[in-house]
Amino acid sequence: MNALNSSTAPAGEYAGDEVSAIVLDPGYNTTRAGFAGEDVPKSVCPTFYGYIDSDSGPQYLFGENAIHNPQANLQIKNPWGADGIVEDWDTATKLWQYAITSRLTGPRERPPIRSSANEQNGSGNRDPDAMDVDVEVAVESTEKPLEDSPLLMTEPGWNPTKAREKAIEIAMEEWGTPAFYLQKTGVLAAFASGKASGIIIDVGASHTSVTPVLDGMVLKKGVQKSPLAGNFVSSQIRLLFKQAQPEIQITPHYLVKSKTAVDAGAPAQAVYRSFDPPPHSSFRHHEEDRVLTEFKESVVEVWPGPQRLSVGPNEEIAKSQPGRPFEMPDGWNQVFGIERFKAAEGLFDASAAQTDAEHPRPKDEHTIPKLVQAALASVDADQRPMLLANIVVTGGSTLLYKFNDRLLAELNAMYPSTRNKIIAPGSIVERKYAAWIGGSILASLGSFHQLWISKKEYEEHGVNIVEKRCR
Amino acid sequence: MPPFKDEQIIIIAPGSETTLAQLGLPESFTPARLRVRSRMFPAEKQGEWEPYKVRRKQATPGETSEKPADATNGAETVNGDDEVEYEEDRVTEEGAVWPIKEGKIVNWSCFFALITHVYNSLNPPFHTPILLIAQPGWTPREHEKLTQFFFEKFKTPAFSILDAAMATSWAYGVHTATIVDVGKDKVDVTAISEFIPHTQGRVIALSGCGGEALTQGLFAKLQSKGFTREMCEQLKKSPICEILPAGTPLPGTEGAAAQDTKPAAAASTGAPGSGPAAAVATIGNAPGGPVEDTEVGDDTIPEEHEGVLDVASIVAGGKMNEYLAKKEKEKQEKANAKKKGGEAPATAAKPVRLPNSKREKATFMYEDHALLDTLKNMNLGSKGVAEAQAALDEGRKRSQDGAGDGEPSSAVDANDSGSGAIRREIEVGVERFMAADDGVLERISDAIHRAISSVDEVNKRSELWDSLIVCGNGGRVRGFKEALLSTIQSRYVISPSSATIFTSEIPSNITTPAGTGANTPQPQLPPHGGPSQVNPLLLAATTAQNPYLPPGGNPLIPGMPGLNAHSSHGQTPTSVKLVRPPEYFPEWKEVGFDESAFLGAQVAAKVIFVVDQGQSKGYMTRPDYNDQGPTGIHDYSL
Repeated sequence: MNALNSSTAPAGEYAGDEVSAIVLDPGYNTTRAGFAGEDVPKSVCPTFYGYIDSDSGPQYLFGENAIHNPQANLQIKNPWGADGIVEDWDTATKLWQYAITSRLTGPRERPPIRSSANEQNGSGNRDPDAMDVDVEVAVESTEKPLEDSPLLMTEPGWNPTKAREKAIEIAMEEWGTPAFYLQKTGVLAAFASGKASGIIIDVGASHTSVTPVLDGMVLKKGVQKSPLAGNFVSSQIRLLFKQAQPEIQITPHYLVKSKTAVDAGAPAQAVYRSFDPPPHSSFRHHEEDRVLTEFKESVVEVWPGPQRLSVGPNEEIAKSQPGRPFEMPDGWNQVFGIERFKAAEGLFDASAAQTDAEHPRPKDEHTIPKLVQAALASVDADQRPMLLANIVVTGGSTLLYKFNDRLLAELNAMYPSTRNKIIAPGSIVERKYAAWIGGSILASLGSFHQLWISKKEYEEHGVNIVEKRCR
Repeated sequence: MPPFKDEQIIIIAPGSETTLAQLGLPESFTPARLRVRSRMFPAEKQGEWEPYKVRRKQATPGETSEKPADATNGAETVNGDDEVEYEEDRVTEEGAVWPIKEGKIVNWSCFFALITHVYNSLNPPFHTPILLIAQPGWTPREHEKLTQFFFEKFKTPAFSILDAAMATSWAYGVHTATIVDVGKDKVDVTAISEFIPHTQGRVIALSGCGGEALTQGLFAKLQSKGFTREMCEQLKKSPICEILPAGTPLPGTEGAAAQDTKPAAAASTGAPGSGPAAAVATIGNAPGGPVEDTEVGDDTIPEEHEGVLDVASIVAGGKMNEYLAKKEKEKQEKANAKKKGGEAPATAAKPVRLPNSKREKATFMYEDHALLDTLKNMNLGSKGVAEAQAALDEGRKRSQDGAGDGEPSSAVDANDSGSGAIRREIEVGVERFMAADDGVLERISDAIHRAISSVDEVNKRSELWDSLIVCGNGGRVRGFKEALLSTIQSRYVISPSSATIFTSEIPSNITTPAGTGANTPQPQLPPHGGPSQVNPLLLAATTAQNPYLPPGGNPLIPGMPGLNAHSSHGQTPTSVKLVRPPEYFPEWKEVGFDESAFLGAQVAAKVIFVVDQGQSKGYMTRPDYNDQGPTGIHDYSL
């Protein structure tokens, strides 16, 4: 335990405040990073990155500015795999490092003598965004970026041992952090809402997870995940557009030079831009997602219940609701009536999801109500009422209009005898970054300091210390 | 009694190109008194810096001048040989190091030297609080570093860091705005709502979009005609360079001829009360280049220039006299032609004076620093240089009074001008309208769209679109703001016609609301949305005919105030507007609000150092620093 002092000492040197700990909350859509003790992450950087396979070797482009710039042959990739675990560790490391250095710490400046000594392990980390800075700085930025900041990282509830060990290895070896800790997003999201126990429903971009937490500990066997989340809603919208008569084209902003106002449903009259050579098709897909995000924000609505959309007269009622207009970047516009309810219905009702050959019907057990049910089934029966009274809702996709109404309706239908209470932070920032905020709170607690895994301990025990210490 | 007086306060605003500074707040806020090019020259000793290029005087004939940067043995010479003399060259930028690139500090020792130079130039008394304007690209760690530097180097009694975008919003006196700061190599877009900048979606240092990109745009077009980058830079700053709104035909094309009947709104620079445009217009109407008898404005005589001569190489090649003779001859011919033109003024079809955007060709004065450098390096001795300079200078007669109004319009420092640079007249065609042709405006407008779309509170977005502020010297080019606005207009604004709610699905009869079955409260406007932000017809339709649809999206979920509620028109922008610059700063009105961050800094400095007196922890004092160290700086800001 006394080895911890090495990590707390540099922070204590100034004011005793642990502001120098960094909290990193990597997600599929964005990577959040910031200093512990602050209320929002200072750095929110897209997890998507640009990749150009040029003659002079592959080129990686990080950051918001780079991935929206229609460059020739630009591919947009994501280091996360389909199962909600990081797949491409090399790029993920660079990307996370970019998220930390670009907005939090800045490139490190060291006398040239030292930096050349450490060049071997750092040379791969060169930040391509900073390519045009002069050589001196490029060398400096290859210094280990976190040498004086302890790092608290988040992980999904289903993170396998291998991935956890990889995380500590990166933090310790590549970034040189003096202390490290790994915590599950579910626990942190609960902390952010001031709860030590509860059931956490996190609807993110790639995955929805349901995590039962008891006294700050994740009940591992109860953790549920499913791919029905934000990206699923986007693909549902795409399917709806495809099945519409006539088919609705999504033209992203970058292809439009100027648009002209047209009547609803009339074909677009826009001046288009062409690119030669054009960016990769993945770039277009990513830009289309931007339009879909706007669509989700302004049009999509979750059918509020109490029953499913397909039950009884609900569909008729939904049809009678006034539609909401939406205009595409090319000027095409239309009013969306029932369609806007259908896009998100699949989250709750697998049989209502839009399907085609490539998008089979989602599994019933992947819908959010079923996930909650499965999670609760693995918990002691006498704990269930307590958990149901603390349902913490987090993740960007829960911002869908009327999502919480529907969720509560579904839960009340399944558990009519308990007092079900949804805890959803009103502030959007808190809802989107709940896990990060929980991490910020945790890492700035005085009592947390005994939990850090110090560099010394890591060197003594190796990577598997993370399994022992971070439960 | 406030702890600090107005005249004690120092404000420093470092930029990639120009660093602004001032000691003391005047009664009425003025543009920065000290303007320094943000560059230093490496001194002979490694790690030390000089504010001006130090050139070795040609005392010993055998010794050729060399750059001090690589004169590593120079120090020995100084010790051994007393005859070596040095002179400061206050004009040249040869070998300069620019410590800030794209808003980021890339060379800290140089940067600190620059700040020290600025500080010493201000010659402050001891008791001076300092307000530093921070670029958005500076990280929190860098703020700490700067704090440490300022306290330890200058022993300042109080220090504060203010974000450039925040400073701009102070200048305009608005709490919600989208600040588009067009710098040298980058653009920053910051959405500020209710005094809080949105850090998450902030577009920081969007590269390839600043003033330099415009210069490069010109260069790409004009390179084939023999223009150098420096010429393009000066062309960009001259009033004849202009960015026309998207879709405006260039003069000399057929579209332009067709449009001739319509008064060119953009060209008349009648942009609503925008000071800078007006200021530029005055310059533009009487271009300060009365060379001989030719007035630049009227010079439409076609000339058979194959391009621009590289005078520097001619001079270096020792053919200066031939060149001068040829020039003299040309001048003579021109005068003759002019006379001829005067004899036949009956060609009334040609309007006397076309606005710039209608003329195919125009000329501007080029200050040839490269030529001057060449001369200086030619061992002519100071007298020879002066003579050659006088012979080559076409704009010699240009009176210095131009400096009065033109001072801020050119980024060449007031204190650096008067250098006697050699001026030449250069003619350009329609290329001068193509500075932004390679998509600069598109990229900036996309960045604005991204920045505003990332503001989580959907209902604040339309207000942000309606309060754009375009500042920064990169956007000084004539017509830039208007063209940017028109680009956004044509690409992003949601047309009201999409609200086709009348034609389709208004329910004729209201059934029992399904959902919660609760009594929906009467619709009311969203808290932040005035009626102006939504289509009024749409609003009327929805509120009058269907009371069950809350237009403001008044969700019934307890504990969730309608922050993310749908507004009647979910999409933004439905309109885009620029914020009008404040009226009550006469000195700023003259020169324009491109450096409004500095104005805002003065306002802020007055507030935090004098009015507030530290009660809201607006600045860090020396005792605070001693207690908390550099990391404490994050606790001190308004």
